[in-house]
Amino acid sequence: MPGVRTPAAAGVFILAAALLAGCAAPQVSSLIEQRPAGLPEAAEIAATPFFPQEDYQCGPASLAAVLVHAGRDATPESLLAQVYLPARKGSLQAEMLAATRRHRLVAYPLAPRMEDLLRELAAGTPVVVLQNLALDWWPQWHYAVAIGYDLGRREVVLRSGVTRRLTMPLDTFEHTWARSGHWAMAALPPDRLPATASESSYLTAVAALERLAPAAARRGYETALARWPGSVAARLGLGNASYALGDLPAAAAAYLRATLDHPEAADAWNNLAQALHELGSREQALAAARRAVALGGPRLPAYRETLDGILRAP
Amino acid sequence: MTDRFRRVMAGLLIVCMGGLSAPLPALAGIVSTDTVVAGAERERLAGMLDRSEVRERLRALGVDPANAKARVAALSDAEAAQLAAQLDELPAGGDILWAAVLIFLVLLVTDMMGYTKIFPFTRSAR
Repeated sequence: MPGVRTPAAAGVFILAAALLAGCAAPQVSSLIEQRPAGLPEAAEIAATPFFPQEDYQCGPASLAAVLVHAGRDATPESLLAQVYLPARKGSLQAEMLAATRRHRLVAYPLAPRMEDLLRELAAGTPVVVLQNLALDWWPQWHYAVAIGYDLGRREVVLRSGVTRRLTMPLDTFEHTWARSGHWAMAALPPDRLPATASESSYLTAVAALERLAPAAARRGYETALARWPGSVAARLGLGNASYALGDLPAAAAAYLRATLDHPEAADAWNNLAQALHELGSREQALAAARRAVALGGPRLPAYRETLDGILRAP
Repeated sequence: MTDRFRRVMAGLLIVCMGGLSAPLPALAGIVSTDTVVAGAERERLAGMLDRSEVRERLRALGVDPANAKARVAALSDAEAAQLAAQLDELPAGGDILWAAVLIFLVLLVTDMMGYTKIFPFTRSAR
């Protein structure tokens, strides 16, 4: 133990040693014990850009790296106004996701699993991770970009702080990452599905994009439908994004398809009614609106309003 | 340039930029995808959601007003509700700060054990 010689320090060490059972991290250990099928032994996305961080600005620096990798224009300076909180000297996770969407990209929060993180890296997607480098009672929150791993060497590769290529033991990384609830985010163009995408998480991510960039969201829903053709939420989203873009015929076609695939989907009937009404097909619109009201559900008041709106129209 | 002209231009700019960042109005007759995806959770959040409150809190933390507006507009309903409810407790990823000697020693030890990673010179046991 070079450097730890005073009795006080030795005491601290003994205490800590007693408290910490060991340093192998659970997820890493099971991954190495039994490597999941299809997961390569090692991967590294060497082309990921690197922006050395200024004071406290690991958020903008990490975000810039993944946005540029996804083909968008960004610098840590341009992102300061979008994610940095001067009084907190840091950036919030929600704002990292929101700023990604402002660049017309899908901000996909990964499931909190080491395996998912490694699968995204193996698929060529760099991932922003939030670590607490210190302890729960004295947190030091830090964003970095995971760009690779090597299960044989038991290491993760990061773009972190002022270090272009930081290698860290995977176990240490897991401990520091677990303290943020294993938070990780991928930034992807809407025509690329995350390797680990789940239907509901991906559609939630695309729906959040719809408010800001309906054209990008429309592409995202098409991507989702290619993977999950029976998804009623994706079909409805495709209609809503088309509606937001003013493309009524495409919106009505998507809603119609949703009602054919899912005759019990009252939301789809309601939106179909509204689109048909605006297209001037009053009778068909009324029939669809009555169907939505008959099916009912938690949003019945909204369906009634749609029906009334059509009835009131001259 | 006269003061009056300046005021009119500033007013126009505020109106234009405000329009850019304003959230989309609720579409009459259309059930939003957000609502469908979030399901019951959304109904619960709807009551708690106040975006102007989040905007004020960002401004209090040093964000200038025009940026605060655009930043809040980019949040999903769930994210805005989370920020409104617990902004102060949420982690803000920043940087490594230095503190007291005791903490230094604790972290030195935990670093060596691979439990934390503060010091570039430590080599953890694994």
